[in-house]
Amino acid sequence: MSIPASTTPSSSQQVPNPWQAHAVSIRSIQQEIDGVSTYDLAFDNAAADGTYRFSPGQFNMLYLPGAGEIAISVSDDPARSASSCRHTVRTAGNVTRTLGKLQPGDTLGLRGPFGTAWPMADCIGRDVIIVAGGIGLAPLRPAIYTLLRERRCYGRLNLLLGARSPGTLLYRSEFAQWEERGLVVQTTVDQSTPDWTGNVGVVTLLLERLRSFDPTNSVLLCCGPEVMMKFTAVTAQHRGIPPERIWISMERNMQCAVGLCGHCQWGPEFVCKDGPVFRYDRIARWIDVERL
Amino acid sequence: MVSVAETRYLLEQLQFSANFPDQVLHRLAQTAKMVEMHAGTVIFREGSLNETLYLIHTGRIALEMNVPGRGAVRILTLGPGEMLAWSALVGEGRMTATAIAIAESQLIALPAPHMRELCEADHEFGYHVMREMAAALARRLVATRLQLLDLFADSAPGTNHAQ
Amino acid sequence: MPNENAAVSKRLPDSDGNPQQSHFVATEAFASIFEVLQGKGYTVIGPTIDQHAIVYDQVRSLQDLPQGWTDRQGAGEYRLERRDDNALFGYVVGPHSWKHFLFPPAMTVATADKTASGWTFQTPEDDPPKYAFLGVRACELAAMRVQDRVFMAGPYVDPAYHQRRSGALIIAVNCSQAAPTCFCTSMGTGPQCTSGFDLALTELTDGFVIAAATRDGEEILSELKSRPATVEELRQAAAVTQRAAEQVERRLDTTNIRDVLFANLDHPRWDDVAQRCLSCANCTMVCPTCFCSSVQEVSDLSGQHVERQRQWDSCFNFDFSYMNGGVIRDTTRSRYRQWLTHKLASWIDQFGSSGCVGCGRCIAWCPVGIDLTEEVAAIREPTS
Ligand SMILES: Cc1cc2nc3c(=O)[nH]c(=O)nc-3n(C[C@H](O)[C@H](O)[C@H](O)COP(=O)(O)OP(=O)(O)OC[C@H]3O[C@@H](n4cnc5c(N)ncnc54)[C@H](O)[C@@H]3O)c2cc1C
Ligand code: SF4
Ligand code: SF4
Ligand code: FES
Repeated sequence: MSIPASTTPSSSQQVPNPWQAHAVSIRSIQQEIDGVSTYDLAFDNAAADGTYRFSPGQFNMLYLPGAGEIAISVSDDPARSASSCRHTVRTAGNVTRTLGKLQPGDTLGLRGPFGTAWPMADCIGRDVIIVAGGIGLAPLRPAIYTLLRERRCYGRLNLLLGARSPGTLLYRSEFAQWEERGLVVQTTVDQSTPDWTGNVGVVTLLLERLRSFDPTNSVLLCCGPEVMMKFTAVTAQHRGIPPERIWISMERNMQCAVGLCGHCQWGPEFVCKDGPVFRYDRIARWIDVERL
Repeated sequence: MVSVAETRYLLEQLQFSANFPDQVLHRLAQTAKMVEMHAGTVIFREGSLNETLYLIHTGRIALEMNVPGRGAVRILTLGPGEMLAWSALVGEGRMTATAIAIAESQLIALPAPHMRELCEADHEFGYHVMREMAAALARRLVATRLQLLDLFADSAPGTNHAQ
Repeated sequence: MPNENAAVSKRLPDSDGNPQQSHFVATEAFASIFEVLQGKGYTVIGPTIDQHAIVYDQVRSLQDLPQGWTDRQGAGEYRLERRDDNALFGYVVGPHSWKHFLFPPAMTVATADKTASGWTFQTPEDDPPKYAFLGVRACELAAMRVQDRVFMAGPYVDPAYHQRRSGALIIAVNCSQAAPTCFCTSMGTGPQCTSGFDLALTELTDGFVIAAATRDGEEILSELKSRPATVEELRQAAAVTQRAAEQVERRLDTTNIRDVLFANLDHPRWDDVAQRCLSCANCTMVCPTCFCSSVQEVSDLSGQHVERQRQWDSCFNFDFSYMNGGVIRDTTRSRYRQWLTHKLASWIDQFGSSGCVGCGRCIAWCPVGIDLTEEVAAIREPTS
């Protein structure tokens, strides 16, 4: 037995500085709906180019010097080129407005990917129900691409999408293609317009009515406003889906994205590293607590 | 003409009646009548008296309310398994919205006066029907609240205390 | 970790497996520790008086230490008083903790520069001094262990903390007295220093009993004029900590504390404490384990060079939980509840230990004297 050289706790191997951002440039901007655009960001740094990998559900921190840094989910196909990746951003406040003023070719910073992913392996051999509300479809799109790429590995696939109004249904131009490849897309809106012939009402009603799934062998992936996710989980359980096969993606204030700043705490969970994707049974006790 | 046995089978598939005991299911099937609605058919109008309660087997029904100056505003669409015209049974029969079939729809029609008699005469039957009805209304109430919260509004605080 | 009380006289094994002797260093000889440390390139941080409080700052000689001073503490109360002796470490704990140096209150974590081809991003070279912390208490050693887990044990390591922590030399002091705010005995963190230091001192009237726990510590000890401690000195040293332990009066019942708090998230006591709490964030600033921070953009005038400044933040600040145009914890009740349940409950899930080491700072520095031990006791009371 020997005396230690110093008190320094043996820390994990030398890890890279989590604050180091990669320079990325905007390859293209595509307006999706009013106030929401998709930015394809290309890695400028030769070292990062081609090496970037993410899993469906993970997010990046996008940094606009002078304005600030924000968490944005990757909305791209994980199997697509690793030299750029798409992010779908809703204009909310300062940083997203600043981003909205940029042009293709402009640069910004990116750190990531961070956080937990949708349980794609768990979906194999099962029916998959995706429930999304508003911009909540963005972090689910990589999961959709993944399911459709290996379509035969999964059972029946349903997307239930809710939005405020018909004009705010995200990725509408892709629905036909998704349907063709075996994803049944159902949409509903809170506020109808005269030209809308689709469903009106909240998305939980679509889940209430859904028939083409086997509750004992289904996985449900959900992202949207917190209240919507909470009631989706209630409805899903009411329909017989066990809580351990319900997954939701949470949002909280984020500063560091790496578990060091404390901002994203939600009960004992750090949304940035224990989430954003959580298995419902693990967090069911927190989702009902007000102002947690 | 759909037989009682067939109707009973359909009722068993519906969330509303899936868990009814045999006895109750049978009674309900005897009372029920299948009706077809073509897309565009107005099933009942807001403010009118309607004496039939419906359970939707297939298709889609839209509920609209008339807002002066805005015309008919579509507030909700209903689908398979859901109940329509609940106020025929528990209200005074005056409809609170206009119901329009927006797809080919098959409905199970239940005459409200007869249902009321059955509930009155057989409290066991009444209990099951009313319990499901209360549950369905509670779900619709929650859904309506969520809709009211306007969760996707631009600056909706994404918090969980806006209950 | 061994927690037996006789650790001062405990002989630490050296590299050959021989027990290490506790040494006695007279006060005059101890004065040379500053030169020894400076000679080894350390910046010595220790207790010193600043604005009516004993704080931690750079100290260059014995004269900088609060010799002959003590602190009198209570709920919402802290003041300095003269001692009737010349003790160097005859106080308890002040508003500062070592986190000021390991986790700086403000620092630049990243920079961005605009070049002809767009923005470039760097993380600044960080060249902190090599610190020697003089006068670290048992509860503060525990607090360092807690922050070590926060900043260095996860998938991502905080580079600033890691760098400062790895270079630091830790000279602990066994407490000779406890304040009415102390409850280290409830938290199992003190008053005896048992591990996590290079050197541990126990102050006697005319000098120190010193034990080395590491080779770095041994080396420093070997450069001080010392002799093996006598049995009587060891007995006196043990009595010093024993006395401190006996003075600890405050208790926090930690039995099942996590489950008790989580089961009581809607306890009426939260409303009660919210009536008193000013949400001023003092408790989180003085707490040696609180680690929250936020990052701000600081641009130069041209906007071509931007620094990302990390600053301490607190869950008591209104904007802390800002999201989507709203604030999640928008009431004092919810913020106090976050603080207390984080410290005493969720910390256990997150880092495997309590986030409270029982130092009592939050009690003394609360402007309205809120005492977490009292709040916990009230929450444990069955509600009618
Ligand atoms: C894991 C995760 C994934 C997300 N994915 C997407 C996505 O794919 N698309 C999308 O449009 N939005 C997403 N968001 C929300 C997005 O981060 C916020 O809309 C954005 O931070 C708003 O910044 P702002 O400056 O424009 O707005 P403001 O309301 O002006 O925000 C001011 C500042 O608050 C801070 N802040 C930190 N965390 C948040 C937060 N969660 N919400 C709001 N402000 C925050 C930021 O520093 C921000 O700049 C995600 C959030 C999280 C936590
Ligand atoms: S919560 Fe209070 S008593 Fe506990 S470690 Fe922090 S300041 Fe000290
Ligand atoms: S959340 Fe509050 S109590 Fe917890 S570490 Fe951060 S500031 Fe301290
Ligand atoms: S965002 Fe900093 S800890 Fe999660």
